[in-house]
Amino acid sequence: MYEIWLAMNIVWEIAMGIWPALLLAALAWIALVAAALRRPGSRWAAGLGPAAMAGVAVAVAAVFAVPWLTHSSIAEMGYWVDWANLAAIALGFGAIAAAYAWPVAAMRRG
Amino acid sequence: MQPLKARAEPSAALRVDPCVDPSDCPDTSRRRWMQAMLLAPAAVAGTGRPGIARASIRTSAHIVIAGSGLGGIAVAARLGRLLDGARITIVDRKEEHNYQPGYTLVATGVWPVAKVRERNADLQPARVEWVKEMVAGFDPASNSLTTESGRRIAYDYLVVATGVHLDYAQIAGMDVSAIGSNGLASVYPSPQAAEATWQAMQAFTRTGGEALMTLPSTPLKCAGAPLKMTFMLRDRLRQAGMLEKSKITFESALGNVFSVPTVNDNVLSRWKTLGIGVEFNHRLESIDIGARRATFATADGGKLERPYDFIHVVPPMRAPDAVRDSDLASKQAPFAAGGWLEVDKSTLQHKRYPNVFGIGDVNGTPRGKTAATVKKSAPVVAHNLAEVIAGRSANLSFDGYTSCPLITREGSAMLIEFDYEGRLVPSLPMISPLQDSYFAWLMKDRMLKPAYLAVARGRV
Repeated sequence: MYEIWLAMNIVWEIAMGIWPALLLAALAWIALVAAALRRPGSRWAAGLGPAAMAGVAVAVAAVFAVPWLTHSSIAEMGYWVDWANLAAIALGFGAIAAAYAWPVAAMRRG
Repeated sequence: MQPLKARAEPSAALRVDPCVDPSDCPDTSRRRWMQAMLLAPAAVAGTGRPGIARASIRTSAHIVIAGSGLGGIAVAARLGRLLDGARITIVDRKEEHNYQPGYTLVATGVWPVAKVRERNADLQPARVEWVKEMVAGFDPASNSLTTESGRRIAYDYLVVATGVHLDYAQIAGMDVSAIGSNGLASVYPSPQAAEATWQAMQAFTRTGGEALMTLPSTPLKCAGAPLKMTFMLRDRLRQAGMLEKSKITFESALGNVFSVPTVNDNVLSRWKTLGIGVEFNHRLESIDIGARRATFATADGGKLERPYDFIHVVPPMRAPDAVRDSDLASKQAPFAAGGWLEVDKSTLQHKRYPNVFGIGDVNGTPRGKTAATVKKSAPVVAHNLAEVIAGRSANLSFDGYTSCPLITREGSAMLIEFDYEGRLVPSLPMISPLQDSYFAWLMKDRMLKPAYLAVARGRV
């Protein structure tokens, strides 16, 4: 339990360090969703597939980019704990990418 | 000195924290988890902050905290929440708060120096008085300390968090201001020294040659740092293609390179494979910076002079003068030699002055002079001090936990956690302590500073 609490605090402190960027990103996402909602004929269901594809693409790219961005490399994955963490981080980036791509894809198909 | 119960406010309004049984107390409890769950939505919404506990003990006691490093600030933050009405004073001149666990990353070119420099004012807890002077002396018999300007500050309770003194003066010819030039490196003194160490390392990787990495015989803060510097120097030489033209020798003043036997054996095995030589019982005695020559005292009483192109100097360490020269210092071996604070290793309460507690590097305890030690011991100190203020005895024990993300090369580390007895105690069961790991590196590179800040704010 302590480790979960610690992890939450780490995320909190990281977020506090970049909160202006996070705020801008959140506002941009809200603007995208609002635009898609207001646009007549937006097809959310149809946009889900392309958004998921974008998310997968970003996740795969993140598997290689994240180690490099953290002064390491894919060759340094020592055991399953490393792979599990990298996968979790990559999936997180993929989910964010999908969240941004979804309203865009919905509008394009509208 | 006065009996402790006279210090606790005998108020009928004394409220008692429900956390009486140590096994139910901070950090491992279900209560903490529930608190986290309840506060998470507020945190996400930006309208609240996790981990804020209600004040539980009403007191008018004056608590003085000597030192505003991680230990002093973390304890102050926790006491501010545990105690209602207490006057808390921090005594420390430093305006800059340095994230010292990041020094090895700065000194090996991974981080810019700005990442280890913070404003002390940004970390000071609310409603804490900050006396911007250094402590010049302690007089525990009169429950007071004296600052460098001669100001006397009386206290009811004292937390000693002064850190260590880097005793470069024990090395004849050593000049801290020369770090960065003539192949002289030392990661410990300051962010500037860490940055200068990186400059010296870069210059060495361009030419190659003979590198000496020293280790003194005294207790060290971050005892893994000399090993990390050695691993990283070797890695930087490899990256520069200069391994063939270079030789690295680790000169230990002890019979080992790390106090935990399993880690020591693992590191020595790795160094053998990597071609890093090790010499034991060689204590750096003097250095001729201009001539690049170091003289070591050997176990048989002899002297050994060694030329070098690059040297990483790790200074002997001891308690600061104010502690060492006071009655707070340990009177018994092995801690008397360094003048370390005489605390009970479990409760971190002073053995002879029960209204005094110690936190961090200054403590005369086996092993553990790291930020990780502070992370786990600050809740113990704050809780035990609150208990003593309430007229009870210190009842929470610290097991000596410490941790060292031991960098083995750029991009990989081992996450070593151990206790007073040198037992490996991984926080998570799936962590393999002696395994090269990207996860351990990622923690060192990206996660531990946020964790450090959360410790400073008294949340973890």
